Amino acid sequence: MNIRWYHLALWTAFIVGMFFLPQLVSKGTLRTIIFANYLAIFAISWDVLSGRTGYVSFGHPFLIGLGAYTTAILTKRFDVPVEISIPAAVLVTMVGGSLLFLPALRVRGSYFALVTLAFMELMYQLVQVIRPDLTGGTRGMSGIQTLTRGAVNGYYLSFGLIASLGFGMWLLMKTRLGTALSAIGMNEEAVRGSGLNTTKLKLAAFMLSAFVAGLGGAFYVHYLGSIAPRALFDINFVFTIIVAAILGGASTIIGPIFGAFFLTFLLEYLRPYLPGAERYFIYGGIALVLYMFEPKGLHHVLQMALSAIKGKSRS
Amino acid sequence: MTSLLTVSNLVKKFGGLTATNDVSFTVEKGDSLALIGPNGAGKTTIFSQIMGEVRQTSGTIHLAGRDIGGMSTAARIRHGISRTYQVPRPFSDMTVLENIRVGLMPDNLTQMVFGRVDHDREEALALSVGLAPQDLHRSPSELSMGDLRKLEMARTMATNPNVMLLDEVFAGLTVGEIAQISELIQSMRREGMTFLIVSHDLKALEPLVDRAIAINQGQKIAEGSFSEVMDNEAVVASYLGG
Repeated sequence: MNIRWYHLALWTAFIVGMFFLPQLVSKGTLRTIIFANYLAIFAISWDVLSGRTGYVSFGHPFLIGLGAYTTAILTKRFDVPVEISIPAAVLVTMVGGSLLFLPALRVRGSYFALVTLAFMELMYQLVQVIRPDLTGGTRGMSGIQTLTRGAVNGYYLSFGLIASLGFGMWLLMKTRLGTALSAIGMNEEAVRGSGLNTTKLKLAAFMLSAFVAGLGGAFYVHYLGSIAPRALFDINFVFTIIVAAILGGASTIIGPIFGAFFLTFLLEYLRPYLPGAERYFIYGGIALVLYMFEPKGLHHVLQMALSAIKGKSRS
Repeated sequence: MTSLLTVSNLVKKFGGLTATNDVSFTVEKGDSLALIGPNGAGKTTIFSQIMGEVRQTSGTIHLAGRDIGGMSTAARIRHGISRTYQVPRPFSDMTVLENIRVGLMPDNLTQMVFGRVDHDREEALALSVGLAPQDLHRSPSELSMGDLRKLEMARTMATNPNVMLLDEVFAGLTVGEIAQISELIQSMRREGMTFLIVSHDLKALEPLVDRAIAINQGQKIAEGSFSEVMDNEAVVASYLGG
């Protein structure tokens, strides 16, 4: 494992900083950070699969939705306690992940991306027509049990999730498993030609991605207390996840966390000046400039800055 | 004694085209066999079938007595056979050592996660194929074609093969690089490695092999010592487009 002391120092600084954050910022800002945390979880989920293996998912809300709907239905319609409904939601999402994996046995590239998009669309239609008495149909569900009260507690829950999932996935991707998944993204045939069963590796990536998406989706719905299919199975939501991951730096885990925070705060702070859709114009512009000049994302910009500082301190 | 690699009555049809037509040969342990023939003769298709990247229409492939003809590529590699490609296929965003690391990985998720990376073995493999110590942390895009071939050899050797299939190992190399790769193959032969080699550079190929078989239009047209095969009329005619 290629872990340096400053990696751990940065993680510690991030976790300690986030821990004391509620003392320093307003409740409004905390609520924004909660959204950033959940977006970061979804972006990490996307990154483990698509950032690494190159199997670009345009249908991640399918996985997130499975997690969210499962726990929402179990708790609201069947009075199942969250201690059971959330693990069940993760399990169902992982089953969904293996469904999403099936087309990856045959297609890749843009065709795979389109298939995943179809999964999301299918899910959107299905939740509206099949048993709307359970799913809430087009209107979705509200009055779903929330796990915390107030911004501070909600913040700590989301922070605990992002810290443990982020650090866990980062650690896992630092092992040879992460190297092998990245190798699939670069040249899948050559991985097979190195004696590795790529089907097994890809299935592992899908399962990990689904695990994170399911857990994130389940906790998110218990934070919001409601679920709205039109907002969830929305192409803009897909793009926000993908842009967060790529803007921050795909295939790095830390990058998508940066990206999610950057994006959430950018959109939030532009709101007073540009209340309408024009904000997305600015965010699109920034993303475009960054892709053109620094396709490896903010993570790489920070890495270069760090090595420049280290170089200076040596000379 | 069973041969290390036995290919029997191999046939591959792509629609109406017969790319491999009833080809049989054996490679003994420690043997080095050249597979020659003009462009499009079907040499690489035979390689791809031995490795399971292309499935044969009929015929069998045995490695050390075991039928590997129905196995996946990865399983065949684990059974001790490995290949290089005409165009090297490095992992572009990884260093030389990380490239070799992929070849050394166990095909087991738990071991991948919890096992230790053998840095010494990675480095030893890289140096054994003649890569310079300063190249080890470079990315493949910074390497010459000769060094890319060496990297490919190292990654192939990392899978611990008993038989290596080398496809056009000299393509795109300078005279000096050809000499280096030849020396590498010779030293591996001395250590007992078994080779099946495809090359258009017949002059460079000759000293590296014990025997040769010639293929034309998917069929075996000659077999024997390298000089016998090269003098064979049918082989000469095939190279002249006859």
